[in-house]
Amino acid sequence: MRGFVPVGGHYVATLDRVERRILAGAVADTAELLGVRLTDLAVPEPGPTDPLGEVTWTAAASTVPSDPALARLLPPASRDDDELAAEFRRLTEGDLRQGKVENLRIVWSGLLGPAGSLLVPRGAAPRWASALSDVRLVLATRLDIETDEDAEAVHDLAMGDHDGSSGRGGDGAETSETEELREALATLYVALTWLQESLVSAMLDAAGQ
Amino acid sequence: MSAVELEQVAEEQAASALGAPWVTIVWNDPVNLMSYVTYVFQTYFGYPREKAERLMRQVHHEGRSVVSTGPKEKMETDVQAMHSYGLWATLQRSGGS
Repeated sequence: MRGFVPVGGHYVATLDRVERRILAGAVADTAELLGVRLTDLAVPEPGPTDPLGEVTWTAAASTVPSDPALARLLPPASRDDDELAAEFRRLTEGDLRQGKVENLRIVWSGLLGPAGSLLVPRGAAPRWASALSDVRLVLATRLDIETDEDAEAVHDLAMGDHDGSSGRGGDGAETSETEELREALATLYVALTWLQESLVSAMLDAAGQ
Repeated sequence: MSAVELEQVAEEQAASALGAPWVTIVWNDPVNLMSYVTYVFQTYFGYPREKAERLMRQVHHEGRSVVSTGPKEKMETDVQAMHSYGLWATLQRSGGS
C-alpha cells in the first residue's frame, strides 16, 4: 500500500487487490451499521440516477442509538439538554445517515473499481476523508479506543509489539481467537489511519497553495 | 485562565453582545487526526490555517473548543456539519458550562 499523492486533478494511492477488498468490507460494514447494505444498491452508473433514492429511512429517531459505534456516528447535539438533543436528532438524523452512506458508497465503489492505481478526483476527496473518519470511528469503538494511550496501544498491537504478553499458552483457543480478531482490527485501523493521513495531508497542501 | 481561555470568554461575550447567544462546541476524541480536524475547521468555517490549527490544538489539549458563535439555527447547521465530518459537536447558550 502506498499513500495518496497529488497527481494532476487527482489524489492517487496504490493498494493491491486484497487490501482493497478488506477496506471495502470495512466500508460496507459501516454503511450497514447506518442501515444500508451497499451490495443491495445497483452498481452506480455515471448519470442522474440516484442509487439512494429508493432507500427508505426508518422513522425519525429521538434517542441515542444503543450500539456505541452507531452512537458515535450519530452523536447527541447536547450533553445536558435532552429535549434539545431529541429535537435535533428528529430533524437531522435522516439527512446525516444519508450523507454518510453516500460518502461510504463512493469510497466503496472506488475501492472495488479498476485495479491498479486508486484515483480519487480532487472534488471527491472531502467525501473520502469523511468516510475514512467514519470507518475509523466505528473500528475505534470496537477496539475500545477512548484515550490517546489506547490509540497508541492499538498502534503497537498492529505493529507486532505485544507488550510482553506473548506467553499466552493455556488460555484456550477462544482467547487466542479473540486476540487474533483484535489484532486484525488493529491492523485495519492503523492502515486506515495512515491512508487518511496521507490523503488529508495532500488536501491541506493543496488548500495552502 | 490561560490567554486562549480569556480569548474564548471574550469571543463568547462579544457574541452575546451581538445578539448571538449560542455557541458550537467541538469535543476531543482520540480518533480524528489533527490534520483532519484542522482541514475541517479551515474548509467548513473558512478560518485561516493559523486559527484552524489553534482551535484544533485547543480541542486536543483542553478537551473542547468553541468553534463558532451565532443564532441557534446557524449553530444547528454547524453542529450537523461537524457530525457529517465525524467530529462530535454540541450547541448551547453562550456562557453556559
